[in-house]
Amino acid sequence: MALLEVDNLSIGYQTPKGFLEAVEGVSFSLEKGESLGFVGESGCGKTTIGMALMRLLPRNGSVKSGHILFEGKDLLKMSDEEMRLARWKKIAMIFQAAMNALNPVHRVDDQIAEAILAHDPTSSREDAKKQIEDLFQLVGVPKDRMRDYPHQYSGGMKQRAIIAMALACRPKLIIADEPTTALDVIVQHQILEETKNLQKEFKISIIYISHDISVVADVCNNIGVMYAGQLIEYGSRAEVFGSPAHPYTKALLSSYPTLTGEKDKLEPIPGEPPNLINPPSGCRFCDRCPSARASCKTESPAWVELTPTHSALCSCIR
Amino acid sequence: MSMEKPNKKRLNRSPWMARFLGGWAIYKQNLLGKIGLTLLAMFGLMALCSFIPPLVDPMYQPMIGVDPEISCSTGPSIRHWLGTDFMGRDILSQLLAGARVALMVGVSAAFMSIVLGTTIGMIAGYMGRFIDTLLMRLADMIMVMPTLLVVLILAALFGQLNIWTIVLIIALFRWPGVSRVIRAQTLSLKQRPFIEAAKVAGASHVRIIFRHIMPNVLPLAFLYMTFRVTSAIIIEAALAFLGFGDPSTVSWGMMLQWVWKTGHMFKAPYWLLPPGICISLITLSFYMLGRAMDEVLDPRLRDEEQAG
Amino acid sequence: MIQIVIIFFVILTVLFLLFRLAPGDPVSRMVDPDMTPEDAELLISQLGLDQPLGVQYVYYLKNFFMGNFGNSFNYGEPVIKIIWDRLPNTILLFTTAIILSALAGIFLGKIASWHKGEKTDTVMTIGALVTHTVFLPWLGLILIWVFAYKLDWFPITGMISEDVWLDPDVSFLTKFLDVLHHMVLPLSTLFLIHFGSYLLIMRSSMLDTLKEDYILTAKAKGLKEKVIRNHHAAPNAALPVVTSVGLSLAFSINGGALTETIFTWPGIGRELVMSVSQNDYPLAQASFLLIAIVVLLSNLVVDILYAYLDPRIRY
Repeated sequence: MALLEVDNLSIGYQTPKGFLEAVEGVSFSLEKGESLGFVGESGCGKTTIGMALMRLLPRNGSVKSGHILFEGKDLLKMSDEEMRLARWKKIAMIFQAAMNALNPVHRVDDQIAEAILAHDPTSSREDAKKQIEDLFQLVGVPKDRMRDYPHQYSGGMKQRAIIAMALACRPKLIIADEPTTALDVIVQHQILEETKNLQKEFKISIIYISHDISVVADVCNNIGVMYAGQLIEYGSRAEVFGSPAHPYTKALLSSYPTLTGEKDKLEPIPGEPPNLINPPSGCRFCDRCPSARASCKTESPAWVELTPTHSALCSCIR
Repeated sequence: MSMEKPNKKRLNRSPWMARFLGGWAIYKQNLLGKIGLTLLAMFGLMALCSFIPPLVDPMYQPMIGVDPEISCSTGPSIRHWLGTDFMGRDILSQLLAGARVALMVGVSAAFMSIVLGTTIGMIAGYMGRFIDTLLMRLADMIMVMPTLLVVLILAALFGQLNIWTIVLIIALFRWPGVSRVIRAQTLSLKQRPFIEAAKVAGASHVRIIFRHIMPNVLPLAFLYMTFRVTSAIIIEAALAFLGFGDPSTVSWGMMLQWVWKTGHMFKAPYWLLPPGICISLITLSFYMLGRAMDEVLDPRLRDEEQAG
Repeated sequence: MIQIVIIFFVILTVLFLLFRLAPGDPVSRMVDPDMTPEDAELLISQLGLDQPLGVQYVYYLKNFFMGNFGNSFNYGEPVIKIIWDRLPNTILLFTTAIILSALAGIFLGKIASWHKGEKTDTVMTIGALVTHTVFLPWLGLILIWVFAYKLDWFPITGMISEDVWLDPDVSFLTKFLDVLHHMVLPLSTLFLIHFGSYLLIMRSSMLDTLKEDYILTAKAKGLKEKVIRNHHAAPNAALPVVTSVGLSLAFSINGGALTETIFTWPGIGRELVMSVSQNDYPLAQASFLLIAIVVLLSNLVVDILYAYLDPRIRY
């Protein structure tokens, strides 16, 4: 049984202008110890999926349909209390723009200890402190900084502390939403390397959400490309990068510079994603797609299986 | 140059009107604002009506009009809808006159302190450095002073104060609050490109301040004016209540002073209640007005209502 | 800290100038007209009133630091003794009122924010709005009328009952309770006027704080709602309230003086009001200075408190 199985998940937000369909019909699965990366531009729905997995959607957000099976249980059907207990212990999350993720008026170790003690009432403060020491060593934050306040940490240290906090209850799954966006490239690289090591050591599954393909390519076994609320391509790292099938994926890859390789011209993707309050029927990418056909506008595209592990949502393949 | 000016003025007015009408649309939706405005309209009406009773009969003069047949405090009757005070003067006429005084004091003091505060705030923010520090230190010092007590000391030294003197002193002590906000606004505006452009075009400092910065800080200034009105009215009322008001003006605070000092506090609710209710209500209505205007000017507050 | 000292010196100097330059004879301001000529001579030389302005200023400062404010015209006693007597009463009433209303405002504002849009919130917000805008002296009078006069639950005036305090057999506790009994109405007046604004500030501060990232983190950590509300959001949201207490101290002391006057509470505020109406200049000047010191020191206390509560400032 897979650790996580998401089936036909659709999520939307109630806005003053209407109902915004942020995520539509997304399905994927994740095995224990594996990492999955979600890539896409802003507004494509990847963060929404992450929030939905934790059932942390804002008040105006709701899951319209679908199932989220974690270790066989449907998270969406659990009571609030059950979900609360599952949070952090089973699934933890590292949020976007995590610079403000730590409470400024409490010490860092107190905040991590809080998480530990909330999910394991049997452990004492001393136990928790010991665990935090080990965690800090793991992520590379000096032990003597444990009692500091968040504002005394640098950006990179804060991020590491947050990773340590996410690991504190030994969750089975960590959702990392743009965890390195606010950091400079060197620190970013360090943290990515550490993430990979941690994953191997603890056999934690990771869902990595980013708009930056290079980061996702570095860390993840499997990649899911999102566009306008839909999953439009899914496969292993080698398959998606080596032989991208969907026109959007191809365009995305060619809009990124490579450090090695030929000096090709960078090709941005013209146009904008569609408005999701009244999403178009038919393919959502067709307005910007270089290989669009007349039928793409009216017919919904179908999932095409290129290999048992690689599929794309496009009518124009093969 | 002279051909340019009329055009510029017209151009400046249209976006203003548009902003004003847009703001009005938002304001209308706000319940608090509507109640506040209604109450204020009522007080305005009261103030206007204050001229009527003396015309009906000289005994309705709030200050000197005495009912020839009554020489003590009586309850409400047909002749005196709210009764009479200890000297036989009509309470309703006093109440109406008080509305006039309150609005006058409130608006004048607020207006003066806004003018002062905005000018000082703009100068401090724009000039920066020494002038800024000097002005802001001055503002700090004044802000720490309890206005009421300062006026008391001045009353001790200079004798009974005239109402306009009181208004002036109130204005002189209330400008710091405004100036801080205006200064902050000016500081952020100073960085904007259009100011740079004006400087490059050779505009003098004065011109920049009054032509370019002022229109942008005015909405904020007006917002704070509503808060200043309430504090001005309260200070004047408190002064009158303590017996240091202008003896020739009838204000609500003065009415409370009479009821208190003549020992009618427990005996004449018809005299005790109306002035206090009026002061409280007018304060409330200006406060509501200010809150509603706050929502108009600060979009973040609006969204809170919708998204939550 | 230095700022406070500077401000105070400015106030001191301005007061000095005002008293000397105002219309009328400055000498009559400091010297009781009922004094004997010899005593008057002595006082004049003590205060340096026959000297040029510059020298007078030096005398003035010297006298201030020595605590010599002259004698009160009304009481005939040294001013310093009178205001020193009154100071604890004012501090007792004022400090208790501010602290209670701040705590109540924080507590209730937190609850109001959590129930935003519901009946509880509406009731609290309207209540805060109404009590905040009521005219303080009038509220005081109404409270006296209802609770002291009509219901006879509380005394109408004063801080103590003479018969209780003059009786040598009465215990300290009884005396203390007597003061409390007298304090209820004036305290309630000050409390009602002030807690509303703190409630409203706390409420909007909580609503802002709840949108912060660290609250989302707290929820993700699987913490209970109560813990998130009280342990994570409230401490952050309460900080602007502390700032607001500091900013409104001048306004609060106005209210304090009014309350003391209405309830005949023997504090400095009331002393100031009375001395002004009786032209007791030495007492008026000294009362005002003492109140100014109280306000400045309170500001300092609030600043220190804020620095203590916000780790970003402490470290």
